[in-house]
Amino acid sequence: MEEKKTSSQSGGALPFILGLLAALAVGWWMFPKALFSESHQPIRFSHKVHAEQGMACDDCHKMRDDGSYAGLPNNEKCGECHSDVVGSDPAEKKFVEEYIQKSKEVPWIIYQNQPDNVYFTHSAHQAQECTECHPKMTDNDSPPVARINKITGYTERTLKMWQCERCHAENGVSNACYVCHK
Amino acid sequence: MEKQEFKIKWGMVIDLDKCTGCGACMVSCQVENNIAPQQDASNKLRTLTWMNVFEMNNGQAFPDHEIAYLPRPCMQCGSPACVPVCPVVATDKNEEGGIVSQIYPRCIGCRYCMGACPYHARYFNWDDPVFPAGMEKTLSPNTSARPRGVVEKCSFCHTRWGRAKERARKEGVDTMDMPQEWYQTACTTACPGGVIQFGDVNNPKHSVYELVRSKYAFRLLERLGLDPQVWYVSKREWVRMLGDNYLESEKAKKHA
Amino acid sequence: MGLDRRAFVQLAVGGVVGTLFTPIPWKLADDAAIWSQNWPWIAKVTKGEIAFKNAISKFCPSGCAVSVRTVEGAPTLVQGSKDNPLSQGGVCPACAAGAQLLYSPARVKGPMKKTQAGFEPITWDEALTTLSAKLSAVKGKDGKVAMVSGDQTGTTSEVFSAFVAALGSQDFYLMPSEGQVAGKAWSIMGGTGKVGFDLKNADFVLLVGADAFESWGPMVRNKKTFGSKRPVGQPNQATYVYAGPVRNRTAAVCDQYVPVPADSLTAFALGLAAQLVQAGKSIDTADFADFKAMLGNFSADKVEKLSGVKAAVLADLAKKLASAKAPLVIAGSPFGQGEGAATFIAGAAVNLLLGQVNKPGGMKVFADFAPVVKGAATAKKLTEASFADYLSKVEKGKASPEVLLVYEANPAYGLPQAEAMSKVMEKIPFVVSFSTFLDETAQKAQLILPNPHPLERLDDLATPYGYSRAAYLVSLPVIKPVADAKPTPDLILGLAAKLGLDLGFSTYQDVLKAKTEAVGASWGDVSKGKLFASDVTKDVSGLNLATAVLAKAAIPNRDPAYPLALAPLAQLNVGTSALATAPQALVTIRDTELLGNDMFVQVCAETAKANGLSQGAKVKLTSSQGECVARVNVSETVMPGTVAAPLGFGRTAWDKFTRGKGDNLSKVLALSPEPGTNVSVWSDTRVKIAKI
Repeated sequence: MEEKKTSSQSGGALPFILGLLAALAVGWWMFPKALFSESHQPIRFSHKVHAEQGMACDDCHKMRDDGSYAGLPNNEKCGECHSDVVGSDPAEKKFVEEYIQKSKEVPWIIYQNQPDNVYFTHSAHQAQECTECHPKMTDNDSPPVARINKITGYTERTLKMWQCERCHAENGVSNACYVCHK
Repeated sequence: MEKQEFKIKWGMVIDLDKCTGCGACMVSCQVENNIAPQQDASNKLRTLTWMNVFEMNNGQAFPDHEIAYLPRPCMQCGSPACVPVCPVVATDKNEEGGIVSQIYPRCIGCRYCMGACPYHARYFNWDDPVFPAGMEKTLSPNTSARPRGVVEKCSFCHTRWGRAKERARKEGVDTMDMPQEWYQTACTTACPGGVIQFGDVNNPKHSVYELVRSKYAFRLLERLGLDPQVWYVSKREWVRMLGDNYLESEKAKKHA
Repeated sequence: MGLDRRAFVQLAVGGVVGTLFTPIPWKLADDAAIWSQNWPWIAKVTKGEIAFKNAISKFCPSGCAVSVRTVEGAPTLVQGSKDNPLSQGGVCPACAAGAQLLYSPARVKGPMKKTQAGFEPITWDEALTTLSAKLSAVKGKDGKVAMVSGDQTGTTSEVFSAFVAALGSQDFYLMPSEGQVAGKAWSIMGGTGKVGFDLKNADFVLLVGADAFESWGPMVRNKKTFGSKRPVGQPNQATYVYAGPVRNRTAAVCDQYVPVPADSLTAFALGLAAQLVQAGKSIDTADFADFKAMLGNFSADKVEKLSGVKAAVLADLAKKLASAKAPLVIAGSPFGQGEGAATFIAGAAVNLLLGQVNKPGGMKVFADFAPVVKGAATAKKLTEASFADYLSKVEKGKASPEVLLVYEANPAYGLPQAEAMSKVMEKIPFVVSFSTFLDETAQKAQLILPNPHPLERLDDLATPYGYSRAAYLVSLPVIKPVADAKPTPDLILGLAAKLGLDLGFSTYQDVLKAKTEAVGASWGDVSKGKLFASDVTKDVSGLNLATAVLAKAAIPNRDPAYPLALAPLAQLNVGTSALATAPQALVTIRDTELLGNDMFVQVCAETAKANGLSQGAKVKLTSSQGECVARVNVSETVMPGTVAAPLGFGRTAWDKFTRGKGDNLSKVLALSPEPGTNVSVWSDTRVKIAKI
């Protein structure tokens, strides 16, 4: 009779476990790195510096008169103080020279950009803390790196539909389609 | 499916005795809902007309031949025929206000809903929306552009309702009881004849509240029992008679 | 220990199992689904701050007072301006597509000159140098430069007419319009000032030909007024009657429709006058006795013979007019052009008989705004100058211009006898088009200097014809030009300075500010969209009833070689001569109006039978001047003996959305001089129809 090979002769369960561990390592460690690209804001905007000047969040991130949310301020707003270089930070100099003086809007990266088919209204979410969805920026001297999903084009932080739905359900708010879609 | 009742019931009242069929409502609808122009718009199997104006007549010869124009948006039925047939819940009637929703990313393009809708209010996107170069800069912020392969329809410009609610919150007005003019559909505002009125038919402060109770008001194919939220008004009996599909053999002399 | 096959399989299985416990498959599936929702070729919608800006949109002949919704400054929707009495929030189907027309594929992207190989882009410097050289060569020579404008309501006419006059020519023309003929007719009656119609206060309105809810007067205002007089489900506060050859869109909503052939509208109106005179009404003019005697030819029976309107119907209408509190008669063309002066005069006579002049709900007469540009043509002069007549003179060699300037007009397509007119234009050596779009006339031009789109320019609007009050509005640009276009009136003022001509102004804004002041309005108000309007009326003594004109012009002249009357349909959703159907308006055209590349003419079953035609048959319409092809749609909206046909199709320029669709009906329209006035008329064009 030929010698019957047993699994132990090939190392028992070891290759399986090795494969399993390797896959877990790839999946949990390398994959996320490979999936997201890291982008930096075109200008190193310091929220901290502005907060230290005594500015409130809604000095810039305000509700417009029609009840819509202005999101990021534009040159007009920033230009109220930065029509010329006022500080010594090179980032500010760059901002003033390359954008304000050339009347060009800064292509800021939005961390929470939603698809066109979503209609999100800030005014209905005023009872929530901003930081439930947005990163806390007040103490931030450099804006966080934007990790952008290479497949979808959205940032890592962009809320997914299940997150919206869960919060709505928990708060007894309707999850009807047209509450959020357009 | 159990019928849902809502506190607000958005309704449209269209006065067929004023409509001249000029097409301003259709153009505004195309613009507001980002419907891409098609080179051959005469193939009506391919066009997307969420608001469509039909021409009707009384069947007589000249000079007794009368005509009327019938603007047809989605009826936003109380018991919609399209909703229960959708295999993926891409269309639903579950929101306050009673507008039948249509979610494009979820739609699989099976078109059961189109077959179910007796008003032909639903349209299938045979083509991707292609705008002439630059024209995409004029797209409306209120409706997402749809890829080919999905079904779409009139939404009563419901994003405008969202914007009206934002205004109400800002101005401290009850979002469930807003002034009528704060939320109007694109076709309603565009109409040069004041043919279309739009509002909450449950709200006595809105003009439509009275109008839907007028003895001249009727709805299309009322006998099907779909309970549309679009009312038509005409003092002309033949126009009202055309509102339902009476058979030759039926002796109906008056519209219900 | 080597890696044998078995170990390899174990490793792989471990890998697969492990992967299932990582986000890889699940995240990839989810991301792929999201990725599939965002194809790069699906346009992204606009985002940002929404604002509304008032403006004037001149895609329709009367001009719409609009409110433009912008997103981050970019126009995205054109609606009516709510607080403006002219629009009251409504908008016409042509202007409704205006924001998208900014990026019409037919837009002229920048200045161009014609070369052997076609149009070639040039710089503004080169364009203006060429033009100024051409103009300086003809400066001071009589009749060597001519200009035609399609802007019926703007002060541009003052700048252009003054410029042409300063160059030594009198040849400034407006494209034919309803207002032009009305002005001419009013002058014939000895009237001064401008005529309007107070629809708002009228309780009985008789529209004689005038297609008031489509092509006559301020269509949006007319429809809003009609709507407000007919509250939903309640008794009507005003009765509307339409008389004309087709139960058109206007007639569809009127209480009564009276079929009257287009060539008998004057006779019909005179028939009403005869009834009213019989009932004891009179007018305080010197020639009333003559008028009364002349009406002997327009008794109910005689009118029935001329027009087919039953004597009883005529008598009944006259009775209704006489018993109404505020009756109003509006006589005009069923398609916004080509009617003679007599129809207007006959209509005015009925209003005079009813005592409805400068009364609530009647015909209103008010002073025209005075020109502010030195040397500008008066309004009266503009009503008398006919561009079609001028081109006829050019054809006969009685005029020989070397330069023709064309502003916001498309004569090569839109004039009656279009083909012949277009040929005549070829005789003019140097044609300059200031068109926003590459239209048929621009395509024939030697030089194209694109004018900005209405939302990109400073513009104004003074009393659209038909409105009951003298009114004024200014429009500031909503957006910077998205093409390399420069405002024509400013160019012309610049050229004037360069050529040493003094028009008294250096910028168009100065002109409009002066105009605003002359009008008595406030720049701050009118430029923000607030309509200035004056209710001051003008005395109307010293009128005459142009009896001689009426007697001759009211009798139809029917050439038996052309057995059918042609009833053109002017519909704003299809466009105008200066605007081919907007891309967003294409869907409004029914497949019984245009199918593929075939347009439809409409005849009733009786006419179809008499001519051996059936639904869908391909036919040729032939008049004494031209022909066009179409298919037949049998529609009982058209009088027997009449064929209705749409204007606005058959484009040879423009873009893929319109080019080659249908045929140009203007080719068929035939000019004839109106007996008694010599006004060129083409509303009575007759045709024959033959299967092909």
